[in-house]
Amino acid sequence: MRRTVALFLALLLTLAWAGQVQAKDIVLGVPLPLTGAQAKFGEIIKKSYEIAQEEINAKGGVKGDKLVLNFEDSQGKPEISRSIVEKLIDVDKQPVVFAEYTSACAKAVAAVAEERKTPYLVVASAADEITQQNYKYVFRLNPSNAYYASGLLSFMADVVKPKSIAILYESSDFGTSGAEEMAKSAEKAGMKVLLKEKYEKGAVDFKPILSKVKAARPDVIYMVSYVMDAALLMRQIKELRIDAGLFAGGAAGFAIPEFVGNAKDAAEYVVTATLWSPQVPFPGAKEYFEKYKSKYGAEPSYHGALAYSSLYVVADALSRSKSMKQDDIRDALKATDMMTAFGPAKFQDKDGYQNQNFMETLVLQVIDGKHQTIWPEKYAGAKYVFPIPKWRDRK
Amino acid sequence: MWVQLEVFLQTLISGVLLGGLYALIGLGMTLILGVMKIINLTHGQLMMVAMYVAYWLFTLFHIDPYVSLLIAPPLLFLLGMFLQKTLINPVLRVESILPHNQVILTVGIGMVLQNLATIFFTSDYKSTPVDYATDAWYLSDYWKDAPFELSLSYPWTVSFLLAVGITTALWFFLAKTDTGKSIRATAQDRDAAALMGVNVGLMRVITFGLGSALVAAAGCLFIPIYYLFPSLGSQFTLIAFVITILGGLGSTMGAILGGLILGVFESMTATYVGMGWAPVGRFAIFVAALVFLPGGVASLLKRKAVTK
Repeated sequence: MRRTVALFLALLLTLAWAGQVQAKDIVLGVPLPLTGAQAKFGEIIKKSYEIAQEEINAKGGVKGDKLVLNFEDSQGKPEISRSIVEKLIDVDKQPVVFAEYTSACAKAVAAVAEERKTPYLVVASAADEITQQNYKYVFRLNPSNAYYASGLLSFMADVVKPKSIAILYESSDFGTSGAEEMAKSAEKAGMKVLLKEKYEKGAVDFKPILSKVKAARPDVIYMVSYVMDAALLMRQIKELRIDAGLFAGGAAGFAIPEFVGNAKDAAEYVVTATLWSPQVPFPGAKEYFEKYKSKYGAEPSYHGALAYSSLYVVADALSRSKSMKQDDIRDALKATDMMTAFGPAKFQDKDGYQNQNFMETLVLQVIDGKHQTIWPEKYAGAKYVFPIPKWRDRK
Repeated sequence: MWVQLEVFLQTLISGVLLGGLYALIGLGMTLILGVMKIINLTHGQLMMVAMYVAYWLFTLFHIDPYVSLLIAPPLLFLLGMFLQKTLINPVLRVESILPHNQVILTVGIGMVLQNLATIFFTSDYKSTPVDYATDAWYLSDYWKDAPFELSLSYPWTVSFLLAVGITTALWFFLAKTDTGKSIRATAQDRDAAALMGVNVGLMRVITFGLGSALVAAAGCLFIPIYYLFPSLGSQFTLIAFVITILGGLGSTMGAILGGLILGVFESMTATYVGMGWAPVGRFAIFVAALVFLPGGVASLLKRKAVTK
């Protein structure tokens, strides 16, 4: 018994000592899906945070204090991210929360943050509702799902001029809201929505649904999927030789380099909405891209750029904040008006959204096995390929 | 009219191809169930292990997943025998309050396998991008004036044919060889088999190995057309379970028919009801089988045999 007490005391002392040493550091817990189906995205986001953290600390940190990030694995499960954030706020008394990836997780975190009156900066979650619930403490840097496709829509209106569209989407928060928004905008643009079908994640065979799509002969096939389903869909589209005028993806699975690696030649000429590419003319964008590439030997997607920029936004808010109190940080975030590698950051209340950053989105096309920015033309790195060749005529 | 026919035929083709692969997954579970009277709920996880074997062989040594058919199933045969001998057999011998301790044990084994895979291989999605992944045969290439177009995917068809081949080989093994006959005897009546001099304990070990090897083969056939992640197993355990119930517990022929029925039914649901409904269809057919056909397809086959 005495020994346990002694051990316990020793442990307490160590903890207290450790706490003292780090008193000057700002320790922030970061919930991310580091394992599980979304681990790919979690990894990109984590690495980008680390680059930003290094840069910020090298420049003197936040008011002289170093930023320290503690990554915690939420496995992409809302209930786990919820409990992580509850712990961060209630036990660790962390005054600001950020990160998480899937919309379902971000929703869970947003609810906790709002309840505990702690500001939360969403990183790359797209579901519209997150910033539509009159939450005062929830901020979002990336455009929401409704705006994801705005670039793609203008590309379609100016170049493709489609009359009909078929929409396939994963039955998740992200997929459903993406498909809903696309259906609404497509109808507004005078397109006929021939088909709107959801599928369960993990499906093996899309051919039944795809042969139905083929029979409907849509001008555009729009798909909202995460990474592997995106590749599987395009592979099976090629197999069935479905000759739509345009194959379009709603970011996520279609916008990361792995898509081309997995779908191979079936990925050629597929266009996708995206939020960012290294060709954008924002300060730091190119540098971030190069740094990530040389450090990790892979190319980051827009998720990474968002994470990278969002840490700058957090650091900026913390350094402007009057104190480390939750409400002061919230006011500082609200007053954000800065330029990041991702684009201008300014949180506005507009069109039913609160604390939402609005911006233009881009269109990428896979040309010769590489994602190229093709729209808007002022940001384009390559000329778009349209009309795309029929499957039969490809080699 | 032609268009509708095209959709129907293409769906039917997809369904049959998928069903053939499903049948192979179901077979292993049925075999184990027949001989050991336990539902092997780690079946899908064993398939996941085999898929990782095939994936690493492809990534490290560029061995085609179909060639892995010669490597992964024997490995899984050994793993299955090992699991049966060291884990399941001891539990079979222990008297316990719960009658289905072994079933619970298989769930545990599955969890361990899945979490080990997560630790060693991370939960990233992996795939083996083979060159022929999107090749297909087209009706219009062979029949110029075809009023509609049908396509037959190259990897899907190869996988299907190999599944049929493996199933036939299994049937031959069970029907014609001594070991096969002993396995069937053990399944029919364990005590009688033991009295006739069949080494029942050995048959159990072999059966578990064989069941694992079968699902490993299914894994090798699946990976060129699908992808891989550690938690993929539970999905396929469930499918195997549905097929086993649908086919009639322990019946080999029933499992084959059950797999085909499930494949076609799922594809038809996807086309004519909606793809989001396919899993619902799967369980609707499961419940329907339990309620209306408790003996599964096998009971129909038997009834016919009796009336003859």
